[in-house]
Amino acid sequence: MRLVRILILTIGIAVAISGGLPLAKRGLSVVRAAVGDSKPEVQLNVTNARPREVEESTQQSIIRDYGRAWQGMGTALANNQMGPLNENFTGFALDKLKQRVKDQQQNGLTTRVIDRGHKLDAVFYSQDGSAIEVRDTATVETQVLEGQTLIHSDEAQVHYYAVLTGAEDRWKVRVLESSEK
Amino acid sequence: MRRISFWIATFVLCWVAANWAHGAELRIPQNATAGQSLTIGAGAGGTLYLVGPGQVIKRKVQGGEDVQISGDELRNAGRWIAIVRGGGGDQSQVFWVRPGKAENVNFLARPSRVPVNKPGVISGVAFVFDKSQNLVLDPTKVNFSLSVGSAHAEHTATSSNGVAWVTSSSAPKAGAAQFVASLPDVQVRRVIEQVASDPCNLKMKVIQREKGKVTVETDPVRDCTGNAVPDGTIVTFTQTDSTGRSVVDARIKKGIARAQLPAEPNARISVASGVVLGNEIRLGGGQ
Repeated sequence: MRLVRILILTIGIAVAISGGLPLAKRGLSVVRAAVGDSKPEVQLNVTNARPREVEESTQQSIIRDYGRAWQGMGTALANNQMGPLNENFTGFALDKLKQRVKDQQQNGLTTRVIDRGHKLDAVFYSQDGSAIEVRDTATVETQVLEGQTLIHSDEAQVHYYAVLTGAEDRWKVRVLESSEK
Repeated sequence: MRRISFWIATFVLCWVAANWAHGAELRIPQNATAGQSLTIGAGAGGTLYLVGPGQVIKRKVQGGEDVQISGDELRNAGRWIAIVRGGGGDQSQVFWVRPGKAENVNFLARPSRVPVNKPGVISGVAFVFDKSQNLVLDPTKVNFSLSVGSAHAEHTATSSNGVAWVTSSSAPKAGAAQFVASLPDVQVRRVIEQVASDPCNLKMKVIQREKGKVTVETDPVRDCTGNAVPDGTIVTFTQTDSTGRSVVDARIKKGIARAQLPAEPNARISVASGVVLGNEIRLGGGQ
């Protein structure tokens, strides 16, 4: 009889742990996304870059600055702030994201982007080294909130095409476009 | 008979329920294109949000009513989220909007100034966009042409992942080259200044000798394809004699460089510009 009790108790604890751990992990990632401090993991493959080879130092800069850009975008969309966008984006990408933030503000929405990492494949690096295009396979969870109410949540692997150009002290994202393909 | 009636009634009930449920569903066409109108079935109605990559659209909708989104509103290609709040509860769905047809080109031409007759020194990069500045990812033919004077070169490149590029050699003739990237309905023009290359066959001669001074002057300085080397280019005259070495850096003026040096007996004068060496003159014994 005692053995049965212990067995049931053990199963109960195992079930609680198996359910509780992912819940805690998810909760933590939501909190981190909300405060915008989650630095995404970025991997870069440069074997398909043409017409110029990507230098080692440029690879490191791209990994750092693309990660920063996503971090900045996450903060901007979660808090409806423009500041983090200006630091990391330029051109069309900046215009579009600013408009998104403005529209979110007007409609009382925010978006949490819970970033689970990026696999970048450099597909173009200009001859003069001033522009690079990467194809990004990103794993992201997107949560849309109306006020404090969660009205949409999904997690998906999304393909992005990003064009980065050299700015004063970093690479800035000039084009960021998701694609079904 | 009772059994048949029961089954008919069940079938009708199921059909009505399915129809009602379908009417309450969020229905979005799967072939949405940026810049083109879109009709969305907003189900039971309420507030419809369309959250796109660069915009948010909000609409109040009645149950069963279709919502028209105009092409001017649906500007951004990429991943969108449609959310309906209220009515029969919240519903959401992800859908994709493709870029429109190629209508814009962002053209980067490098460098802005280039020496003539150098192979593969000019690069042209064209990013292809639709009218709402979405990167067009489908392969698109971009025509590149480079012309200076009567010299004309043309290349066609097909874009891959939204970008097409070419490399080209500079023409033998100096001048402002027109570098154009074009789609069927749009042309973007850049100017690349093609300047003379390094001097070729640099030659000088003594033109005057008096009162212990000698004046030397180059022939008109040209590159190997006959273009005049621009005024302001430095030409260096070096004189070596028993007292040591004198160096004069002279700028080319009206195509010619000139310098005055001390007329020492048995002096040797050489001329150079950049890495190009010219001829050498030996002065006679104090004559």
